[in-house]
Amino acid sequence: MIAAGSRRTMSLLGACLAVLFAVDGTCQEMADHKGHHGHHMAVTPAGVVMNENRHNLPRGCLEISRDYAFTIHAGRKYASDAPGMIFGMSQHEVKVEPCSRLEITFVNEDQVRHQWMVHGLPAYLYPAGMFHIEASGGQSMTGTFIVPGDDSTYLVHCDMAQHMEKGMRGQLVVGKGSGNLWNVTGISDEFYRPAYLPRSAGLIILLVTGLSFALAAWLLARQRPLSK
Amino acid sequence: MKRRWVLVLALVLAVVSFPPQWYPLSLKLKLTSWFGAADFRALPESVPVPAQQPQSFCPPDPEGWRARQTIEGVQIERSAPCVADNPYEVAAVVRGTNNVSQATLLKSGLAADAVEKGRDLDGDGDPDEIHIRLEVAELNGASALVKGPVTQYEIAPGIKPGLWVFAPKFVGMAVENFASRVARPDLRLPSPSIRIEQGDTVLITLENTHYMPHTIHLHGADHGFVDVSGEGNDGVPLTSEVPVMPGNARTYELQPRHAGTMFYHCHVQPHVHVMMGLQGLFIIEENRPNNWVQTLNIGAGQVRAPSVAQRENFDSEYDLHYLDLDKELGERVQQSNDPRVVTRSMHRDYDITDSTVDYFTLNGRSFPYTFRESLVVGEEDDRIRLHVVNGGSKGIALHTHGHKFTVTDRNGATLPEAARAPQDVVWLATSERADLSLQLINDGTNAYGPGIWLFHDHQYNGVTTDGIGPGGNISAIVYAQYMAENGWPKTQGVPWDNYFTEAFYRREIPVWESYAPGLFSDAGIDWLMLLRVIGLALAAGILAALLISILFRRSGTGAGT
Repeated sequence: MIAAGSRRTMSLLGACLAVLFAVDGTCQEMADHKGHHGHHMAVTPAGVVMNENRHNLPRGCLEISRDYAFTIHAGRKYASDAPGMIFGMSQHEVKVEPCSRLEITFVNEDQVRHQWMVHGLPAYLYPAGMFHIEASGGQSMTGTFIVPGDDSTYLVHCDMAQHMEKGMRGQLVVGKGSGNLWNVTGISDEFYRPAYLPRSAGLIILLVTGLSFALAAWLLARQRPLSK
Repeated sequence: MKRRWVLVLALVLAVVSFPPQWYPLSLKLKLTSWFGAADFRALPESVPVPAQQPQSFCPPDPEGWRARQTIEGVQIERSAPCVADNPYEVAAVVRGTNNVSQATLLKSGLAADAVEKGRDLDGDGDPDEIHIRLEVAELNGASALVKGPVTQYEIAPGIKPGLWVFAPKFVGMAVENFASRVARPDLRLPSPSIRIEQGDTVLITLENTHYMPHTIHLHGADHGFVDVSGEGNDGVPLTSEVPVMPGNARTYELQPRHAGTMFYHCHVQPHVHVMMGLQGLFIIEENRPNNWVQTLNIGAGQVRAPSVAQRENFDSEYDLHYLDLDKELGERVQQSNDPRVVTRSMHRDYDITDSTVDYFTLNGRSFPYTFRESLVVGEEDDRIRLHVVNGGSKGIALHTHGHKFTVTDRNGATLPEAARAPQDVVWLATSERADLSLQLINDGTNAYGPGIWLFHDHQYNGVTTDGIGPGGNISAIVYAQYMAENGWPKTQGVPWDNYFTEAFYRREIPVWESYAPGLFSDAGIDWLMLLRVIGLALAAGILAALLISILFRRSGTGAGT
């Protein structure tokens, strides 16, 4: 278990990450203290865009290969075609070319907060490897970032309690990607997929086992003379 | 032939193996009359207890959150125990998240509209328009991607029951950092205490971020059945309104005419939802000029910025939220990630009438974590205000060592002077509140002098964690001279390492091991006895096989000879 003191530091850092204004010294110090570069952020009453990057090319990219603009809607109604899901996004997969620039407009159609958060990006460009958009209920936020040049698949999710688990989990596929992530709504299966058996499954298993035992015993008994 | 020898062998084995302590009494007496008592054979050795790695009792306070400080002009009192609330959160909810600097808001982690404070309607120097926004979070919930709970919150070492809480509207992630599954420290049990001023125009918006329907019912607080637009305002699905669905929001309104300690909770399937943690203290402070109240007290406990009326009569103020939890209820959110399966499991398969409660929390934690953050700390002659609610399903018999307190108010109504005899136990039924006056005056009645004096539910379930004690809602009244600088009380009893060890609450450590090692440890195994029992089992197996082979031979199916 992490010592509570460092937990608190991390939490304050987390708060910093969430609402940091580029000029705030305290957060910069804390981020440096933790060995991260400061996050680049823009905050409006409608929400947060963190680590926006319009111009800095990832290593290995000579130029921006292409510009994309995606509008991604979020909310309860986008989970409606997936049984057992509560929240969702209008698209749970974004496919782009390596070294391309993405302008994401995140439209929150619910009355509560939602997030579109990418993990695993190069930390030298995106502190903690994150690009993050948070939109308040009924609000829309736009942010831009540049993806690296390697074929890779990145996690996209909403980090509010249970929102990823209940449907807001997607992936960003750069180039050929690196294989589907698990549990991406509408794209890939659940890693721990429950059985969904009828409640009488125990009885069915018992009956079938009993029948197969009886049948096998009868067949074997018929063959007994052969063993002599 | 062969079979006969096998029979003899089995019988000899049985006789030799038979443990003498199981001989029939008559045989034992007969043998004693011939040979006297058997020779001394020492009982098995105690089982050694593996070395434990206890958690740190008292986490450090690198940002100086415990210190008395002034932020945004808000005087924030010192918090004596190890773990203190974030003072920037306190300042932001006193001034209003819309009225503080961006730097303070940033350090608070709250959303800009978490607690909005508007106009001063009565011109007495404090805002009377208050808009509070609450979300709903699941702690220790399920995931179909990883084993074990997500958005983790420990009530005691290793104890992570599934919980639902009303949470202040934060910004950013629900976890402490990108690589962790542990909830951010301010996302926790209990739901925050809400404090408003008598006569304030209060809006409370429930932004339902959870995956089930919920409402807010303002238990005991003066509110209309409908709001100005005629919409339901009582939070009761049966009679007032359709619950707030996931992703939706609803605003409740009230303008309470009387002060008092009230309660708020979800009223959807309340026997499940309230007991999952969707409940909090709702305190209406008396109206005073320049009365900036601490609108949210995250995690309950000490009120770092008490109201004007409280400061008139008391040196410090605490919210004490008692809640018992049924382990079997909380587990149900962890057993499936499918809301349909969870909904059925919690509301139809679970039967509260057959339930027992297992965990007993004070301000969202059980002992020993209560000693990190829920100590009541004072100096001699201090006057301390305690606002107590029992949110649990069973009553509590709240008892103070070393002190007699006075119950001044019960369930939001002030008691007459004649009814205020000093007490050392107060009984609080489910959902009852009491306002206690605790005076650290060493006169033999109010107090018996400085020390570390426990306070706890005197029903014995309540001082355990799933039946392991010490646990439950034990905390203490600690005098300043008994507090170390780091916020840990200078106890002079037994070592506490075991209590900060997960294995202790998994029932793996003998209860007195820390100060009587070996003496009351688990008894070891008598290997000779085990050998005898195995010998007996072997003999029994052989005899059974012989019996079956005889039966088969008689029925003509055996192989012969």
